[in-house]
Amino acid sequence: MVVLNFTLTPEAAAKVHDLLVCLGKFSDTVAIEARRERFTFTALNSSKSAYAALTLDGSQFFTSYECVPTHGGPDSRFTCSMYTKALLSVFKGRLYDPLGRDGAIDRCEVTLQDRPDQTECRFIVKMVCNQGVIKTYKLTYEAVEVMHALFDRNVAKNRWSMHSGAMKEYIEYFGTKTEMLDIYAGDDGRAVFKSYTEKVSNGKEILKHPLVTAVAVNTSDFEEFNIQAGLHIIISVRDFKAIVIHADTLKTSLKAYYSYPTRPLQFNYGCDGLSCEFTLMTSGDYNAVPASSPAPAMLSRTNSRAQSAATERTENRSMRSEMPPPAEPASRRSARRRNPGSRKVKSPKRAEPDPDSLFVTQEEEDTRWDPVDYNKEEETLGWDASAEHDAAIFPTFRDSGSLTRTETEDSNEVLAPTQRVSQIKGLW
Amino acid sequence: MRFKASIQNITTFTKLTASLNSLGPLAWVKLSDDQVCFTIIPEQGTQVWAVLSIDTIFETYTVQSAANNVINLEVPLISLNRALKTALNATSAQIRLTKKDNMPVLALTIVTTSSSNSYAAFPTTGANNNEDAFETSTFDSAIGGGNHETIITQEVPVRVLSPDIVAGLHEPQCREPDVHIILPPLVQLKSISDRFTRLAVVGAKSGMGTTSSSRTRLEVAANMHGCLKMSIKTDAMSISSVWTDLNNPELDPSQVAGGEIGIAEHPSTRMKQLGSADGRSEEGWASVRIDGRDWGKVMSVGRLGGRVIACFCHEHALILYVYLPNDNGEDESVLTVCGSAVTSCPNWSHPE
Repeated sequence: MVVLNFTLTPEAAAKVHDLLVCLGKFSDTVAIEARRERFTFTALNSSKSAYAALTLDGSQFFTSYECVPTHGGPDSRFTCSMYTKALLSVFKGRLYDPLGRDGAIDRCEVTLQDRPDQTECRFIVKMVCNQGVIKTYKLTYEAVEVMHALFDRNVAKNRWSMHSGAMKEYIEYFGTKTEMLDIYAGDDGRAVFKSYTEKVSNGKEILKHPLVTAVAVNTSDFEEFNIQAGLHIIISVRDFKAIVIHADTLKTSLKAYYSYPTRPLQFNYGCDGLSCEFTLMTSGDYNAVPASSPAPAMLSRTNSRAQSAATERTENRSMRSEMPPPAEPASRRSARRRNPGSRKVKSPKRAEPDPDSLFVTQEEEDTRWDPVDYNKEEETLGWDASAEHDAAIFPTFRDSGSLTRTETEDSNEVLAPTQRVSQIKGLW
Repeated sequence: MRFKASIQNITTFTKLTASLNSLGPLAWVKLSDDQVCFTIIPEQGTQVWAVLSIDTIFETYTVQSAANNVINLEVPLISLNRALKTALNATSAQIRLTKKDNMPVLALTIVTTSSSNSYAAFPTTGANNNEDAFETSTFDSAIGGGNHETIITQEVPVRVLSPDIVAGLHEPQCREPDVHIILPPLVQLKSISDRFTRLAVVGAKSGMGTTSSSRTRLEVAANMHGCLKMSIKTDAMSISSVWTDLNNPELDPSQVAGGEIGIAEHPSTRMKQLGSADGRSEEGWASVRIDGRDWGKVMSVGRLGGRVIACFCHEHALILYVYLPNDNGEDESVLTVCGSAVTSCPNWSHPE
């Protein structure tokens, strides 16, 4: 029997919302791994090129946290997988609102109902709102084995770190439809983030080619910067944007660790009991780098203390059950630079501005001049009395059997009533 | 072939490209010694012929080519606009024509003083549990000092047009307008016309269920007594709004063919005899019918904040002249937006 109970403050619940939004950009499902002292959300994207692990510390992140996995060993764990959207519909935005307006909660209590003597296994979230309103959500989950991407920070000699706020500024410069991000140290004391798309196009198509944006940042703007000169490392720009936007919600520094192209890269950040790690596949010209050199020529500013701390963490991680990083066969490496788009990530969507912001951004101000899209449903007047309309717009999660069947949003199946009218007392 | 300039007025340039982008995805840009022309000729709908004096947007401007120092480019407006948006807070921005992998690009080099140095110098809560970050950053701000510029380069793919491709390109000629009038603030006009169009769209949808009638015809009319009328008629409704006390600018004899006599014989002089200033008279209106969605796109030029004069050729065409305000207080740059009336097809429009 598994025991899992925890309570979140509104602030922490809002952070869960933020991290789910971020993970939703990687995968439709999020895996949960609960241990005695920590709780981890993981996500692996469909092309297995990006892996995210966001760990909530049992004593620091939660008001109270209790987890007793089935087999009492110190390393035992409870794992399951859920739909990111389903969790997001529970952990909505605006859970934390100091003014206590609509949607704000007082606390969030989560319990796991996973007992052989009960007919239903559920992940139960209770949102205790103001005025004594309690919203209870019972979510289904799927028992899965959770895997972890392994990353050895000892090998990752190239490191940099920068405040996420500055990073966010840079990603806003990138064109909207680009796919790749090349990070390298330029020759004039600058680090360059270049977003581009590798697509061969001819004639008129040239004009549809997305913008190529290069942001050259003074290396002294970094908190730490140790990059081998001339090393180009290429990752997906959408993954990068998703990570930076999430790191910015925590107002923390973003650290990058990597060795050389085609080997994984890790981004890491965290604060207040939340620790986030993203392990991404990289591409780039493997041959251009003297990869064998054990101590690459660092540009500046080594930071030994950070390294030793990192080593400790890595050892800790390698104890867990592991999934080897999605390494590429070496035979493909020569073709890599030409065709890195083959590993593009499908699910992430475009980064959106903060929907909770109360301020009218300059962009919004400007959009009132844009032509109106009269095909937008919400804008039009009128009504639609047809019943099947609802099923199409709102994805429903059916309360039965395999979760995968519920995925299709356009399915015509409607959520069946779970309660007989005769059972409801006091309404009439 | 050389083109290089620093962008002097980034906001205006950004708004211009945003407005033009509403009307068509590609613009033909003609760079010459004394002016910059933007031309948009979509398959259907409204054309734009914009002539800007160099100093409206550029300074230190050089253009050189074998064809009389004129360069013609085809530019994707969405990319150009996106690139310019990143320059909104820039300390300087340059644009030049160059080649990248044998493809011509307009390269923007934008220098900003990023606020990142202040992030580094004052680590917030997140960095507190990491002493190293704190130490390095304070060390950094102590010696770092001035050079915190971030350089952004944006490469907009373009197509260079040969002189013979653009040779046949001429601004359409139209007969003298019957009515010319200064439009009310476009933000007001846009919100009302958008609402009209929306009603018409819904009317068309729920009415007969015929999709063919989804084109929404706005009727726009004006008289020489300061009145503008916008109306929409469907089977189910008829709505109209009338503006009064607008200004009909006087014609300048030096600009009209035939001088004083030309003005006396000008159609607008005749129209002055008809109609009234309260807009209730049935007479004296020059009206055109235009597509509501198309009009919504045209209204997008309002973001430039210029003075707009509308010229009505009765049941023929509507031409808007948008005068951009510049630093000298003179209107030197003109956007000509030629909306063709839906009912009749003037010589330049593509027949429906």
